[in-house]
Amino acid sequence: MTAAAIVARGLGKDFGALRALDRLDLEVRDGEFFGLLGPNGAGKTTTVHLLATLLAPSRGSARVAGHDVVQDGLAVRRSIGLVFQDTTLDRDLTVAENLRFAARLWSLPDRASRPRIDALLRQFELLERRDDSVRTLSGGMRRAADIARGILHEPRILFLDEPTAGLDPRARRSLWDRIRGLRAASGLTVLLTTHYVEEAEPCDRVAVLDHGRLVALGTPAALKQAAGVGSLEEVFLAHTGHLLAEADGG
Amino acid sequence: MRAVYGIVAREFLRFLRQRGRVLASIGRPFVWLVFAGAGFAGVFAGRNEIDYRVYMAPGLLGMVVMFGSLLAALSTVTDREAGVLRMMLVAPVRRRTVALGKALGATLLGTAQSIVVAALLLPLVHLRPTLAGALLGLVAVVLSGLALGALGVVIAASIRSIENFAGVMNFVVFPMLFLSGALYPVRHLGPVLRAAAYANPLAYGVDLLKHALLGAWAGAGYGGELPVPLDCAALALFAIVGLTIAAWLLGREGGVTRTAFRERR
Repeated sequence: MTAAAIVARGLGKDFGALRALDRLDLEVRDGEFFGLLGPNGAGKTTTVHLLATLLAPSRGSARVAGHDVVQDGLAVRRSIGLVFQDTTLDRDLTVAENLRFAARLWSLPDRASRPRIDALLRQFELLERRDDSVRTLSGGMRRAADIARGILHEPRILFLDEPTAGLDPRARRSLWDRIRGLRAASGLTVLLTTHYVEEAEPCDRVAVLDHGRLVALGTPAALKQAAGVGSLEEVFLAHTGHLLAEADGG
Repeated sequence: MRAVYGIVAREFLRFLRQRGRVLASIGRPFVWLVFAGAGFAGVFAGRNEIDYRVYMAPGLLGMVVMFGSLLAALSTVTDREAGVLRMMLVAPVRRRTVALGKALGATLLGTAQSIVVAALLLPLVHLRPTLAGALLGLVAVVLSGLALGALGVVIAASIRSIENFAGVMNFVVFPMLFLSGALYPVRHLGPVLRAAAYANPLAYGVDLLKHALLGAWAGAGYGGELPVPLDCAALALFAIVGLTIAAWLLGREGGVTRTAFRERR
């Protein structure tokens, strides 16, 4: 058993003629806070979906929590939590009903999940809203509920795919506080995708993706030093010849 | 299995939340009874063998199962658009478990709705089934619900969006209803339509319901037209084939990620 939470070897995915992800080699250590940085269309979400077994790779292989994503999808899915780019809550159900539904999908008995759900709702400041329909929640609260649901089954690895998209600055801040709290409390491995450079700054290591290729990998400090620049934004510029914000056009 | 239970429980919660859906499903057969019943009763009246409203009762129950199960299963389309399907597919359950959960939820919803409607409708048309008839009716409703629920998941997994819904209503739901024997006996149809009727799961369900409820009129030619075991076998076959196809369709990566891919661009 290695200490690697995620290992990708030559992992790639094509959609028809489009090469969404070329050949990715990546290792994420247990307990690491790992950032996948790149503009929209760089292959970040494709990478996450490949690692979460929602997509089948066109080439290469990957192991997540020690399980092969092609051979042993169920075991992979049992070890991970995934917070999608846009909310996947059922708007017609209440917050608590959504979490109970997820608990049953993850085969947790109601007896065990009830206290766990209440504890999570308290932790995410949703306890007063537990019996309100998700429809009535603000964007920040929905995100908090998404994350609470993502860690309900105590996964080893949490994928956060563009978690702050559409949130106001205050909601973003409180989201990062929660992630920090979770990592401190449980040693959770977190793989974050983002196209906001400043969000990748607190990561232990960052991989920069552009057009489906890995263009840089390292700690934020090392990347900045290697490129001889002061910010990750400039690192991105140095590696790709364009700014993140520019690439973000489409 | 817990995951199936979770999916079924969610279907029920959603149904009860949608008050309009509850009222529509219970009210729909009575609208048909009053309006279609009034019109067709005159046409049928010639031979005084059976009150048309009594003749309609099994068909109306079949219609309740069809709308209940098919529409519930079609909600898989909404699940995909709202992202809930993705959430189910990232859970540690097999694709076929998700398909089975959706189809079973649809079956139970269709069954519950037809039991409620039967309790109101049968006294209204003075139909009092025997115990054996009632039990056979329940079997008919459950089997039809499974077959139609599976069909609904298949349709939902193969259409792209809810915009195709009107097409489904026009080219699936209404033909199925009219070719089911719910409103007139299948034996009066021409050979082509009759062949189409036998490719229609609802036709076997309605036939079984006629065996269950119209036994007293079998001599006059208004009971079931096919043998009971054949009806049951056909429905079971539709259910098994439908579930197999549904599981395969949901397993296809396009089922989940087509939207994800579109967003990515």
